[in-house]
Order: sequence, then C-alpha cells, then structure tokens
Amino acid sequence: MSGLRRALVALGVLAFLIGLLSTALILTSDHASPRGLLLALVLAAGWSFAFTGLYAWDRRPQNSTGALMTATGFAWFFQALSASNNEWIFALGIVGQNLSFAILIHLLVTFPSGRLRTRPQIATVALAYLATGPLQLAWALFVDPATQSGCEGCPGNPVLIGGAEGVADVINVFQLLGGVTAIALAIALLVSHWRRSSTAERRVLTPVLATGGTAFSILLVQLVVSELVSSHTFQAVAFVIAVAIFACLPFAFLLGLLRSRIGRAEEVSTALTAENEQLTAELEAKVEELRASRHRIVEAGYAERRRVERDLHDGAQQRLMALTMTLRLAREKLDGDPAASAELLDEAMEELGSATAELREFARGIHPVVLSDRGLAAALNGLAERSPVPVEIAAAPAERLPMPVESAAYFVVAESLTNVARYAEAGLATVRVERRDGNLEVEISDDGAGGADPGAGTGLRGLADRIAALDGSFDVRSEAGEGTTVEARIPCE
Amino acid sequence: MPETVLIVDDHPGFRASARRMLEAGGYAVVGEAGDGEEAIAAAGALAPDLVLLDVQLPGADGFEVAARLRALGRAPEVVLTSSRDRADFGDAIAESPARGFIAKAELCAPALAELFG
Repeated sequence: MSGLRRALVALGVLAFLIGLLSTALILTSDHASPRGLLLALVLAAGWSFAFTGLYAWDRRPQNSTGALMTATGFAWFFQALSASNNEWIFALGIVGQNLSFAILIHLLVTFPSGRLRTRPQIATVALAYLATGPLQLAWALFVDPATQSGCEGCPGNPVLIGGAEGVADVINVFQLLGGVTAIALAIALLVSHWRRSSTAERRVLTPVLATGGTAFSILLVQLVVSELVSSHTFQAVAFVIAVAIFACLPFAFLLGLLRSRIGRAEEVSTALTAENEQLTAELEAKVEELRASRHRIVEAGYAERRRVERDLHDGAQQRLMALTMTLRLAREKLDGDPAASAELLDEAMEELGSATAELREFARGIHPVVLSDRGLAAALNGLAERSPVPVEIAAAPAERLPMPVESAAYFVVAESLTNVARYAEAGLATVRVERRDGNLEVEISDDGAGGADPGAGTGLRGLADRIAALDGSFDVRSEAGEGTTVEARIPCE
Repeated sequence: MPETVLIVDDHPGFRASARRMLEAGGYAVVGEAGDGEEAIAAAGALAPDLVLLDVQLPGADGFEVAARLRALGRAPEVVLTSSRDRADFGDAIAESPARGFIAKAELCAPALAELFG
C-alpha cells in the first residue's frame, strides 16, 4: 500500500470516528433541535463529502478536487460541535460552522481541474474564506448565543468580549455581504464556465453545477430572506433543503470526476503545457546560445584572417623585403666588390631558409597537411614532437574520422599544448583521444601549476565555439596546484 | 638633397637591411627607432634631414607620426615606406605631409633620390 493510500485510509477512519463523536454530541445536546434531523444532515453531508472525497483523491491524486471534497466533509462536522453542551467545544463549533461552505465554493469554482487560475476565481474564493474564517472568528468573539441568538439551553461564550453588544451585528452585516457576494460570484462563474464548455465537458459539469448551483441558490435565498423575514420555519425548511442537496453534491462531484476522462485529460494537458513551456524556454536559450556562438564564430573568422594577414606581414613578408634589399645590394656590388657580393648572397640564402621555415610553420597553423594526408594519430604525434614540454600520447584513433571532427580535435590538442608550454610550467602533458559512445573524446592534461581561467583567453573560447558548432561539449578544469585538464567531446558516429 | 637619415621600423631585420642599403647609397644613417614615440624623440635629438618611416608601427601609425614630425621645430623630410603597396592605403599617402612613398620591395638609394630630384 502506498504512502498516500495509507494516509487516505487513516483520514477515512478519522472521518468515521468524528462522525461517531458528532452523533454522541448531537444526541446528548441540550439545545440542538430537532436532534434527529440535525444528526441526519450532519452525517449525510459530512460522511458523503469525506468518503467520496477520499475516493476521488485516491483515484486522481494529482487533482486537488478530492482533497477539497474531503476538507469540505471534515469542516462540515463543525456543525455537530456547536451541538455540544461544553462551552469550549460549542465555541469551536460556532467559529467553524460556515467554513465548509467556503471550501465548497472553492471546490465548485475550480471543478474539475481543482486549480485556481483566474482572478475572478481567486477573488471569489478569497471572499468566501474571509467571510467564513476571520470574520466568523471575529463575530464569535462578540456574540453570546444564549442571549442574542435566542438559543435556549446554549452554553455561554467562553471567549466573549463583553461590553460591545453592537459589534457582532456590524460584523454580521459584513459577513453577510461577503457571503452573499461570494455565492453570487460563484454562481456567475459556474454559469460562465458552463457557457464556455464544450458538449463533452458539459456532460461532466451538469451534475455538479446543477446540484451545486441549486444548493447555493437556495442558500443564497435563505441568507437574504432570513434577514428580511424572521420566519424560523421558512429558514429551517430552506436550510434543510439546501443541506439535503448539499449532501448529494459529493456524489455529483464523484460522478463528474470519474465518469469523464476530462479530469485526467486536463491533468495530461496541463502537464504537457508545462513541459511545452519548459521545452520552449530551453529552446529559446539554445537559440540565444547558438546566435551568440554563431556571432563569435564569424568574429573569430575575421580575427583569424586579421591574424593571418599580420603574421604574414610581420613574418615572411618582412624577411622577403630584407632579402630583396640584400639581393639588390649584392647585385650592385657584383662588379666592383665580388667578395662583398658573395657574402651578401650567403646572407640572402640564410634569410631565404628562415623565410621558408616560417612559411611552413605558418601554413601548418592554418591547416596541418599531415592531418588531411595521414590522419589524426600522425598529426598528434607531430604536435607531440614539436612541443617543448614532453607529451605522452596515451590514446589516438587509428582510423580516419570526418574531417571537421579530426580538425577540431587536432586544434583542441594543438591550442592546449601551446597553452601548456606557455603557462603551465608542466613537466609532462598527456593526450588521450578515444572514440566512446558515439563521441570522440579528447583529453589533454598536464602536471603543471593549474589555475587557468578558461574565460580569459580567446584561444580556449574559440575552441569551445568550434566544438559547440559540431554540437559537442567543452570543459576546462584547472584547480590551482593540480594541473589543467581540457576535455572536449565531439559527436562522431 | 637630404644627407642624414633616421630609420623608423619595428622590424630590426628591416632596419639593418635599410641601413646597409642607405649607407651603400651614400647616406649617413644617424639613428634608428622602433616606434612612433622613439621616432619623435630621436628626430628632435638628432635633427636628421630625412626620416624613412614605416607606415605600420605599433601604437601611432606612420601617418600620425609624419604629422607630428611636421610640427617639429626643424621638420625633417619624411618618406613613408611599407611592405604593402601604395594602393593599400587609399589616399592616406597623398594627404599626409610626407614627401612620398616607396614600397619596401622597391626601396633603394636611386628611388629615394628620385623623390628629391
């Protein structure tokens, strides 16, 4: 048995016991009359609401309609407390005796979803609770039922604040206004709900709205008329009819909730809506991230071209300019001073060698030819050989992979090894590139100083974008004193 | 016809080649500078007849440096040079107070002399 079901069974037992207690209170009451009728009404409505509510709660745990029905049932038993001869129990009954009507309004206006959604719904329910909760409590502090309500045999009010006889009447007027407004609003909401509903929904709503609407209409008439006509008989009859219908209500609720699939469909639809909203938010975040990353990739493209231009200008081009001048000078000296000319030519040869080496290095930085010719493993070995810090290639895929994947992996390793050589003060770097679970996993770790800030350099940021463009993930861990580990995961089926 | 020259370029290799070329052509190279600030200071101190001024310098570029040199008490002649082509700078060369422009690939004593012919 699940935790919820155990709790519901316990509540059921409690409702049964409260019913028995109510029976005892009513049957021994000195002032309740007629006892038989009161007992029948209390038990019929209290138990029917509590038990059908618990059943509905069990069947539709996500829908608070069941819980509200159960609460209505329990609150209904306050009626029985006010039959007590004990002044404290009696006072408690007086305070709580109208609460069940407010819960019922809550139940009716939110049926069948059980959720308060609109402002009018919230206002209606709040007004109902205000009138039957705080105002009822305030009223109870100032009323002496034995003298003011003409209740013969009622116990005295133990919490009575004396010397303010008129206050109870004033509060009562506010309560009445609040109660009548709340009921009128509730009826209006029910009617509007009915009018907006589809035929299928109406089949579900009909029993509930008809019974609930009728009960409240009668209650409304009783509330208003009782203020105008002081006929006890009329009030009693109207009250009995309202309560009799009231007792039928839970079955109408149950019928509506269970016979239809709307309760369930609504839950599913709400869950779907929530999920949908969440997905939309995630999607928007993704789009924003993509937009930013695309922007950075374009920026990085321009930055890369500027770098290429500058590197060419500062490097090879300067060497070639100097070479031109040296050769021109050598040409001028060729006739007059052949020895000086030969010396200049030797110098030019040396300069040309440097320029060629520089261009080769430069071209490799743009795209390593070994990568396209012989694959990732060979290219990684090349990187390891050229690195000033010793590099161990712990794993590298022997097979060829798609060019964008090989290229991204290569540049992650190249950039990381450059960083190791520049900043890490490391004795050894370890490179591990493996295919696993449809990804190419790239890891470069070193035993250096750590403490690298992945957000600081444009190099790592550029790599992250490059990996993101392939739908991969990129992570840098660099605790001070614990070396740096760069990890990239690139989808690669 | 200028006789003393200040060479301004951020590449030492180029400065060395230019010095050799200019000296072979009969000029007296009185100083070298690696950027604009150094160039202004050296021009003020050495008062050369001519400043051979690279356009792409770190910090202030050659055009800006040329304008500031023009403001010196005894303003030297300025010849701009670059590994780039004249066309790469649009009309900036024509608008600068410099005497002229010689691409580095064409830089030699006779080309310099031609500007002052």
